[in-house]
Amino acid sequence: MNISATTGKSKLRKAESRTAYLCLIPSILGLSIITYIPLIAVFILSFFSWKGFDTAKFVGIANYVRLFTKDPYFYDSIQATVSYAFMAVIGSMLWSLMIAMLLNRKVPARSFFRAVFYLPYVLPAMAVYLGWSWLYDYNHGFFNYIISVLGGSKVMFLDNANMIIPSLSMIAVWLSGNLIVIFIAGLQNVPRIYHEAAEIDGANGWQRFWNITLPCMTPIIFYNLLMALVTNLQVVTPALALTSGGPGNSTTFMSYLMYRYAFINNKLGYSCAISAVFFVLIGIFTGILFATSKSWIFYMGDDNE
Amino acid sequence: MSVSKANVSNMKNVFVVRRRKDKIFNVLAFCLLLVLTALVMFPIWWIFRSALMTNAELYAYPPTFLPYVWRFENFSATLEQFPFWMYLKNTFTIIAPSVFGAVITATMGGYAFARLRFRGKKFLFTLCVGSMLLPSMVTLVPLYIGWTRIANLSGTYWPLILPHFCGGGAFNIFLIRQFIMTVPRELDEAATIDGCGYFKILISIIIPAIKSAMIVVALLKFIELWNDLLQQVIYINYQKDFTIALGLSLFKGSLKSDWSKIMCATCMAFIPGVTFYIIGQKYLVEGIVMTGLKN
Repeated sequence: MNISATTGKSKLRKAESRTAYLCLIPSILGLSIITYIPLIAVFILSFFSWKGFDTAKFVGIANYVRLFTKDPYFYDSIQATVSYAFMAVIGSMLWSLMIAMLLNRKVPARSFFRAVFYLPYVLPAMAVYLGWSWLYDYNHGFFNYIISVLGGSKVMFLDNANMIIPSLSMIAVWLSGNLIVIFIAGLQNVPRIYHEAAEIDGANGWQRFWNITLPCMTPIIFYNLLMALVTNLQVVTPALALTSGGPGNSTTFMSYLMYRYAFINNKLGYSCAISAVFFVLIGIFTGILFATSKSWIFYMGDDNE
Repeated sequence: MSVSKANVSNMKNVFVVRRRKDKIFNVLAFCLLLVLTALVMFPIWWIFRSALMTNAELYAYPPTFLPYVWRFENFSATLEQFPFWMYLKNTFTIIAPSVFGAVITATMGGYAFARLRFRGKKFLFTLCVGSMLLPSMVTLVPLYIGWTRIANLSGTYWPLILPHFCGGGAFNIFLIRQFIMTVPRELDEAATIDGCGYFKILISIIIPAIKSAMIVVALLKFIELWNDLLQQVIYINYQKDFTIALGLSLFKGSLKSDWSKIMCATCMAFIPGVTFYIIGQKYLVEGIVMTGLKN
C-alpha cells in the first residue's frame, strides 16, 4: 500500500518534469542557439579574419590591436554612443517621472492622458524619424519657424555635428512612453499612510516628495534606469533611418559601426571584435549601476518576494 | 484630555487644508497635462497636416497650422508610387507568425517556471532572467552567419520569424510566469484530483485565466517587430520582399524632398500600429504595470 503510493507519487513527479521539459524546449533552444552560443561565438570569431566567402584565418589579437590603435571610427563611435545614451536616458527618465507624478494625482481623463503619452512608442521607428526630420528641416521645418518667430537664427538640427545628438535624444524622450507606465505603477505602490503620517508631522509637499515618494520609488527608478541604459546604449535605428552615421562621425554609434563593418565592408571577424568590446562596455556600465545601487535603493521591508 | 482634543481638532484642520490644497494642485496638474499633451501630439498633427498639403503650400512662409484645403487625394497619388499594400502584406507575413510563436512558446515556458518542479529549474531560470540584460545587438553577426551559412535561409523571412518561436524572449516568459503565479493553485489541485494531466491543466485552467497576459505579450511583440529596422535591413534584400519600414526608407531615398508625399507615406505607416494600440491599450497598460512591479 505504502510502496504503491510512493511509486504513484514518483510517477506523477516524472510526468511533471517531463511536461516541464517539453514546455521548455522552445525556450531552451532560444537560450542556447539564439542567445548564449552566439555570445560565445562572438568572442571566438573576434580572433579571426573572415570576409564571409573565404576561409576564416586565425589572426590572434590583431583585430583588437587594429581597433584600438588604427581604426578611424572606433573612438568616435564610443563617444557618440555614450553621449547619446546619457542624454537620452537622463532626458527620458526626468520627463517620464514628471508625467507619471502628474498622472498620479486625481485628475480627470487620466487614462486618456496615459494613452496619449504612450502613443509615440507604438509608431514604427522609421516613420518616426522621417516625420521628425521634416520637423527639424533647416529651411521649412517647424522648429526653425518657431525659432525665427522668436527672433533667433536658424539651427541645423540634423546637419551640425554638435546638434545631432541632442536632436536625436529629444526624439528618444518623445518615445519614452513605456517608462511612464512603469513609473505610474510604482507611484501607486507608495503607501498612502506614509504621506498622511508625514503631513500630521507638518511636512510640506516638497519634503514629502523628497523623503517619501522618492525613496519608495528607488527600486522602480533603478529598474527603469537599467532598462533605459541597456536599450539606449544599443542605439542603431536613427543612424540606419536618418543619418547614416553623419554628420562627420557624430552618429556612428557602436552598433552602427558593427553593422557597417559586417554587412557593408564584409569584415565579419573584425565586426565581432567591436561586438566583444561593446559587450564589455555595456557590462561595465550596468556593473557600475548595480554596484552603486545598494547605497541608494531603499527596500520597503516586507515588500519583496 | 483637553490636550488630546486639541490634537484631534488640529489633525482635522490639517486634512481640511490638505484637501483644499490638493484640489488646487489637481487643477494645476490638469492644465499642465493639457499643455504637455498638445506638445506630445503636435509632431503627429504636423506630419498629418503636411500630408494633406501641396509642396508649394508646405514651403510657404509663415506655415499654416491647418491646411487651406484638405487634400485627401494626396494619399491616392502617393499610393501610385508607394506600394503600401504590398509592404503591409509583407510586414504582416513576418509579424503574424512571429507574434503567434512568441505567445505560444512564452506561455509554455512561463507555465513550466511558474508551476512545475523539475531538475535544473533554478539554473534555467537564472539563465533566462540573465539573458534579459544581455544586449541583443552583440550577437548580430554570429546569428547572421548561423541563419545564412549554417541554416542556409538567406533570402527568406525565416531568420526574422523563427527566433520568436524560441520562447518569445526572456522578458515575455517572465511576464507570463508572473501572471500564472497569481492564479490560485487550488484550481490546479482540483483539476489534478479530477484526473487532469499537466498539459490539460495548462490548456483548460491556466490559459483561460491568463488570457490578458497573452494579449499583452502579443502586443509587446507586435510593437517590438513593428519598430524593428536593423533585422529587416540585414535579412531582406529585394524590393518585392520589403516591409513598410524598408519601403519608407526606399521611398524617401527616391523622392529626396517631396515632403508632401513622404509625409503621406509616413501617415500610412502610422495607421496599423495605432489601430492595434487603441484596441489593446487596456491590456497593455495592465501587463506592463504587473511586470514593472514584480521586479
